[in-house]
Amino acid sequence: MNCPMESGGNSEHLLDYAAGRLKPGARAQMQEHVAACPVCREFAGGQRAVWQALDAWEPAAVSMDFDRRLYARIERHVSWWTRLTRPLNPLFRHAVPVVAAAGVVITAGLLLNRPAAVPAAPEHSAQVEVLQPEQVEHALDDMEMLRELNHLVPGNAAPRM
Amino acid sequence: MDERVKTDMGGLAATLDFDAELMLRVKQGDGASFAILLEKHRLPVIHFLYRMVQNQAVAEELAQEVFLRVYRSRESYVPTAKFTTWLFRIATHLALNSLRDGKNRRLEDRLDDDSSDTPVRQVSDQRPTAEQNMVYQARLDEVRRAVAMLPEKQRAAVLMHKYEEMEYSQIAKVLNCSESAIKSLLFRAYETLRARLAHMA
Repeated sequence: MNCPMESGGNSEHLLDYAAGRLKPGARAQMQEHVAACPVCREFAGGQRAVWQALDAWEPAAVSMDFDRRLYARIERHVSWWTRLTRPLNPLFRHAVPVVAAAGVVITAGLLLNRPAAVPAAPEHSAQVEVLQPEQVEHALDDMEMLRELNHLVPGNAAPRM
Repeated sequence: MDERVKTDMGGLAATLDFDAELMLRVKQGDGASFAILLEKHRLPVIHFLYRMVQNQAVAEELAQEVFLRVYRSRESYVPTAKFTTWLFRIATHLALNSLRDGKNRRLEDRLDDDSSDTPVRQVSDQRPTAEQNMVYQARLDEVRRAVAMLPEKQRAAVLMHKYEEMEYSQIAKVLNCSESAIKSLLFRAYETLRARLAHMA
């Protein structure tokens, strides 16, 4: 294989080799080259030392309340509308189906109990005539006269007791 | 577990990583998916930021900002890249801004400060002697100083390459560079570190 240090373009293979990240085939090839190439051997040795030094750098423990603080900050960024309506959410969750069902029932009831349609009045309907008192008087007189005539007819005479 | 799942997005089949899938659920209002993402990425993000700014309090503050931005961006989230690429792009951006703004204390102050930032060594059967502790602290300070002296972009690239085990292509996307530029950047960064730390082998 070409020397990674000389070709330049493959220097990352040497970094990966020192880090133990090469795949088995490539690692064996690199191992063979490093054994024969003093420049690459020195490079790989120095790189391993860096790797080990960096391994010693352990991070500090994370605060126990990290998540709590984060969620508190998230909460502060929630919109005022969401915060305002949140306590009502369970209520809405339960009330919405009930209100919807009630709405359906009321609508159905209104549709079923709708008064029968009144047929539209014909354009030229019979109009009630306004009776004058004289007409009524005449009608009553006529009726009286008919009753009297009725008595005069023998077959129609009322039986005497 | 296979971390890649197929998702149909608007009729187009896109291969997403599992985290992007979770983020899409967060977009749909699933808070539990956000909790999973937080649980999974909390430590890598904080550790990356800690090694960038070398101050635990500042690192945690920045990490809070990272996850807050993730949450606030949920509605506009489009999985165009790996979730971790997006996450570390936010983290790197914040870290670089913080370093430039000089929010955190000066390096010299931090290294001289005997604060709780120093990790507590877990020793199971033998307590380290005072001398061993001193040696350990001296080595640690040397490593921290060597990393802190790298230019910011090189530092970010080294930390993502070494500790997050990211591919060159992903680091390139995070830092908005070409892959060849990142390889060259890393080569120079490790060259500097070799010069400063090789004697520690």
